[in-house]
Amino acid sequence: MRTQYIVALAAFVILAGNAANASAAALLADIENAIMCECDDKCGKVLINCNCSTSDKHRATIEKQIESGLAKEQIIQAYVDKYGEKALSAPTKKGFNLTAWIMPFAALIAGGIGIGKIIRTWTGKNRDISEGLPGRNEPALETRLGGYSKQLQSELDKLES
Amino acid sequence: MNNLGEFALMLAFATALYGVVAYVMAARGNRIDLYLSADKTPPIVWGCVTLASIALWKAFLTDDFSLEYVWAYSNRQQATFYKISSFWGGQKGSLLFWTLLLSSYMAAVYFQNRDKKTVLVPYAMSVMLSITLFFLFLLNFSTNPFERIPLPPEDGRGLNPLLQNYWMVIHPPTLYLGYVGFTVPFAFAMAALITKNLDDGWIRLTRKWTLISWFFLCMGNLFGAQWAYVELGWGGYWGWDPVENAAFMPLLVATAFLHSIMIQEKKDMMKVWNMSLVLLTFVMTIFGTFITRSGLIQSVHSFDEATLGYIFLGFLCVIVAACVTMILKRLPELRSKNELDSFLSRESSFLFNNLVLLGIGFATFWGTIFPILSEAARGVKITVGPPFYNQVNVPIGLALLALIGIGPIIAWRRASWANLKKSFARPTAAGLASAAALFPFVPLQDKSQALTYLAFVLCAFVTATILIEFFKGARARMELHGESFAAGLATLVWRNKRRYGGYIVHIGVVLIFAGIAGSSSYSVELQKRLKPGETLELRGYTFAYKKLSAVEASDVKTRIIAQLDVTRDGRHIWTALPEKEFYKGQNQPVSEVSLYSTWKEDLYVVLADFREDESITVKAHVNPMVSWLWYGQWVIAFGTVICMWPDRLERRRRLERFRQQTAAFAPAQE
Repeated sequence: MRTQYIVALAAFVILAGNAANASAAALLADIENAIMCECDDKCGKVLINCNCSTSDKHRATIEKQIESGLAKEQIIQAYVDKYGEKALSAPTKKGFNLTAWIMPFAALIAGGIGIGKIIRTWTGKNRDISEGLPGRNEPALETRLGGYSKQLQSELDKLES
Repeated sequence: MNNLGEFALMLAFATALYGVVAYVMAARGNRIDLYLSADKTPPIVWGCVTLASIALWKAFLTDDFSLEYVWAYSNRQQATFYKISSFWGGQKGSLLFWTLLLSSYMAAVYFQNRDKKTVLVPYAMSVMLSITLFFLFLLNFSTNPFERIPLPPEDGRGLNPLLQNYWMVIHPPTLYLGYVGFTVPFAFAMAALITKNLDDGWIRLTRKWTLISWFFLCMGNLFGAQWAYVELGWGGYWGWDPVENAAFMPLLVATAFLHSIMIQEKKDMMKVWNMSLVLLTFVMTIFGTFITRSGLIQSVHSFDEATLGYIFLGFLCVIVAACVTMILKRLPELRSKNELDSFLSRESSFLFNNLVLLGIGFATFWGTIFPILSEAARGVKITVGPPFYNQVNVPIGLALLALIGIGPIIAWRRASWANLKKSFARPTAAGLASAAALFPFVPLQDKSQALTYLAFVLCAFVTATILIEFFKGARARMELHGESFAAGLATLVWRNKRRYGGYIVHIGVVLIFAGIAGSSSYSVELQKRLKPGETLELRGYTFAYKKLSAVEASDVKTRIIAQLDVTRDGRHIWTALPEKEFYKGQNQPVSEVSLYSTWKEDLYVVLADFREDESITVKAHVNPMVSWLWYGQWVIAFGTVICMWPDRLERRRRLERFRQQTAAFAPAQE
């Protein structure tokens, strides 16, 4: 019974250790993704994507900070304090930086509304013309196309339906 | 030969200058003698630029270090293959290469249209000559590749080791062919604006050129991704770097243009929009060049001596001003009888497709320039990196993917609800079936994985819509002509090349979406220090470190190679040989990735570090579905070739449409 208890405890410790390692690795990856590699070569890469010798030093420092119990935000803030706001891999979501996040979607929504209005105008114009000139939009293909083109058109129409 | 090259560049500049002035004066004064004289200049400029390029290549191949450019980007030990590619390895040579391609395009357009007697061609040639003139000005007065060193050194510095990769030999020329190629539709569009020939004549004249440029730009982007993947060693293929963005933005705008010109061709509408798109595409190519060569935005791809910022900015401003002025001036002539039969039509879906493509383009542009805006507004330079683009562009990209599926099954002109229900039933069922089938296997632990799941479902939906289109078409031919399914399918594609070639391109895009989704969410990596005999475990694979060896590859290159045996369930899969390469005269060693690629996943091993006791730090990645991107690339290439293939039927159909339009307008004219 005692042996079983020890084995179970050992298994728990190993699993807990693995889980802790896994979460530490995930946390490291999260932090590496949030900051840029600040090196003399100005490699301009996100830390997680950088292989230069300075990036390994940054990683080692962050690992130590994780081990010492610092939270993700604290570690990132310490990095920003040292290298400035440009060390963040994406703009913060406050103040002027918020415009970076809002503008693409605002432009898309405005464009969508604009296109919706344009289509409504264009379809309305067509309705007006159709009402004024009945049969104006009817294709006059039958009378104009040769035998071959007629067959081709009918095939294409079948494909469309 | 160097003197000859330098003289050829000067002669090309003078000829181009004369050509531009003579073309303009001939047009303004209606002088045929001047026109005939000006019309000789494009092939002369091309000949001179080709001669200068040959001179520079000769200098590289003969190790002529009296040229500063050859000294900076080559050395005696460099392989011939890389001596040839060193031509575009630096700023000066790449500008000459750009000019060579531009003048070659110009010569090709010149010879293609020489006997056509089209009013647009002389104006288009003068626009192309003007742009060539700008690059020749830079080459002659700012970045002369034939600049001498008074006392030539014995050997050169050599090409950056990162650029000594076969993808870097293929990637820049392909990308440049795309960038430069868009000058042709731009020149014809400007010619159409100048001459007020604003029907779809200019589109017909440049359709092939637009497709060719689109093809090269698309391939260039994907070749660049492959280079980044195998050479940079971080396990990814796209970093949303400003220079990558610069190549991506014109591709998006050009894709929007390629879709919306179909509406102009079919319905003679959206002229202002199409004109604006083609001009914007060209502006984006110049904007990309400005980013690469200005040094204004920090990028891993920028040229070392990126000092041409203000010159390119000036050129960009002139181009934008010319485009805006011409469009505003011709607005009354460009106005068309914009009419749509229904909101529910393929025309509407194309408009939304344009919106989404430009939405991604705008988000990318905004992210690229935001550091400059931030610095101007707050005095603080910030970074806009991959997390921004992934958060903003992924949802818009998924909307685009959905539209790729929706567009082709909505009928042209007008779709009824009954028709829509019928068309959507099967693809939607396929999407739902794939959602149910994937659910037990796909992890859904976070937002990223949820989006990936959605991407897979949409991929299944889009693939189903396209395959059903092929199936329906082939069945129709079987019934009408008694052909076998395979023959029906082949004839269907052959007789409707643009339409079915386009669908094949869409299948390639779906493969790329699937590859991006799978590799972004399910990749794993592990870095570990190993001594000989130790192992690293990752997603069921065991990487056993065997030994470290050093190889003197050449007088300038030493390779340190680690050997790792990769097994799965005790079965040997592959021997990984990641290495570090040390180049004479270079501070940083270069990592050479060892890669084992299958359709399912890539095993990707990087030697991060090693020590004298033969212990190594190795970084192993398991990247699922990356190869899908490269399969997608070749499918796109195949589809584009089908689209570009000469089509007699298409010409006949166009003629028929023209007759219909003429007939439809005849009563009004009476």
